[in-house]
Amino acid sequence: MRRGTLLWRTIGFISLVSTLLFLCGFGIALKDIIAPSDRTPFYADNEAESGSGSGAGASQVIRVTALGDSLTKGTGDSKGEGYVKQSVKLMEDKYDKPVKLMNNLAINGLRADQLNDKLTNDKGFRLAVSEADIILMTIGGNDLFQYAQGQGEEEGDDEDVQRSAGRSGELSLEELQENMTEGVKRLEHTIDLLNEINPKARVVYVGLYNPFYDVEDLRDGSIQVQEWNRQVYAVIHRYPNMRLVPTFDLFEANISRYLSSDHFHPNHEGYSAIAERIVQSLD
Amino acid sequence: MNSIMPLIRNETVKVWKKKRFLVVIAVLLVLIPVFTYAQMKISLSNRESFTDWRLQLQQKITDYQNQLSSERIPEEWKRYRRIAVQQMQYYLDHNVNPDSPNAVTFTRGFMDASVSMFIPLLVLAIASDLVSGERSTGTMKMLLTRPVRRWKILLSKFIALTLYVSLLLLTTVVLSYLIAGLVFGYGGWSLPVFTGFVVHGSEVDSSAVHPVPQWMYLLMMTGLVWISAMTIACLALMVSVLVRSTAASIVTMMAAIIAGSILSAMASSWESAKYIFSVNLELTNYLAGSPPPIDGMNLLFSLAVLGFWAVSALIVSFTVFTKQDMLN
Repeated sequence: MRRGTLLWRTIGFISLVSTLLFLCGFGIALKDIIAPSDRTPFYADNEAESGSGSGAGASQVIRVTALGDSLTKGTGDSKGEGYVKQSVKLMEDKYDKPVKLMNNLAINGLRADQLNDKLTNDKGFRLAVSEADIILMTIGGNDLFQYAQGQGEEEGDDEDVQRSAGRSGELSLEELQENMTEGVKRLEHTIDLLNEINPKARVVYVGLYNPFYDVEDLRDGSIQVQEWNRQVYAVIHRYPNMRLVPTFDLFEANISRYLSSDHFHPNHEGYSAIAERIVQSLD
Repeated sequence: MNSIMPLIRNETVKVWKKKRFLVVIAVLLVLIPVFTYAQMKISLSNRESFTDWRLQLQQKITDYQNQLSSERIPEEWKRYRRIAVQQMQYYLDHNVNPDSPNAVTFTRGFMDASVSMFIPLLVLAIASDLVSGERSTGTMKMLLTRPVRRWKILLSKFIALTLYVSLLLLTTVVLSYLIAGLVFGYGGWSLPVFTGFVVHGSEVDSSAVHPVPQWMYLLMMTGLVWISAMTIACLALMVSVLVRSTAASIVTMMAAIIAGSILSAMASSWESAKYIFSVNLELTNYLAGSPPPIDGMNLLFSLAVLGFWAVSALIVSFTVFTKQDMLN
């Protein structure tokens, strides 16, 4: 019976103590959820901010960050690579060094002003930009072809862009002009922000193309697209570490070969053509 | 009081001798290493693609944001995603890693994941044959011939069950900490965890958010899990009194629990489902600030529902147990 006593005492004691402990925990939780008293503001320690630690190893690996809209996301590529992953592969061949895609932070339907907001406020975006050696970016298409200000405001759906782009014929010239002035201003800010966060990184901006070159009524859109690219180049050429890679010509003669079934985004081949251009532009 | 202590002692030792608790420990010893291994695989592959947890978190946020713009995802999911994005952003803004790999974080995740199914299952393993087991083996008549009131016998069983529920949770926490620590290291007690996110629709109000050290969070969480587990224990006791065979009593309880977890996953449109106990088991959600399965649920509501079910179950158990005929 001694063993029974010991067993009972052990189980009884441990269980009783843990019951009390859990009841305490429950009490604290109840109080914490219903009437949180401890509202001392939390100060993040920024110790790790600069010390990413890679230091010496950094020159061994080329680090790539991709920013932008659905094109950078790779929408339309049935293999899911987009131009970003394909350029990373090509860069590996070119430099004969490991190239690491750190982040692809593209969001479908993103506009330049939204990107600016993220680059200003989001620590994650700033960190990803500051640690990159190469930054790949597409932005502006959604700014340019948004046919009523505030229309795409809610969530910035990609669908909005396609719809508005599809009706770019209806988008009056004046509206387009307005969008362009506003859009270039936003992009100028983006470029400045990138330069401020990481002045050393090589930035490649992928120019716009007209996905409706083959539609008779919409062919003139190319002129607007070209005007956009010209104005953007005027901004980009201020910084010697930044490049604008033209893509409009790819999607003129080969438009059916390079566009995906949504007739807006490139397909896998279209993205490889863009990736090739990007890698050619890098020194 | 004098006469109940020996009874409790008797019941406690009896449960131990039946080796049910050893089965529970064996289950834990198999399952926790499995989850630890899976978790290790995940963090290894993450370490391969991301050098910095902040970049990884940012990528996760961006991926979620992309899913938000997809037309094919139901509005319900988007709401969860939107809330998750805002919470992750809060962590990122405050430079706190929400899932830094260590044993305490693992334990926290494990308890969180097991509150709705796994812990109830383990509770059932102990509770289901408390009364029905005595009937099928015939020892119940022996017990009842003693000069002790019936309600005292059931009360002693209930107290023994309570002790085992606590022991069970303690064992789960300790084992998962010890096993995960082998892989992830034993640190992480003092890391900050944010609590106090208030969800309104798909917006998160973070004005009441405050950091608590992870040990405190774990303590609060286990306290909430204990309440859920005790509700299950009360219900299982009732079923065990009502049903003659142990198998039937386990199946009945499991069916109820599984039904609840399916309901909470799919049915926010059926609002009165929130009065079912098994929809309310995930009390830990309120601590983490995850949206409740059905609108209008909050901690007090869930506690009231669970409390109502538990008390009703106890009343039924005691009434039936003291009145019924012990035939077989």
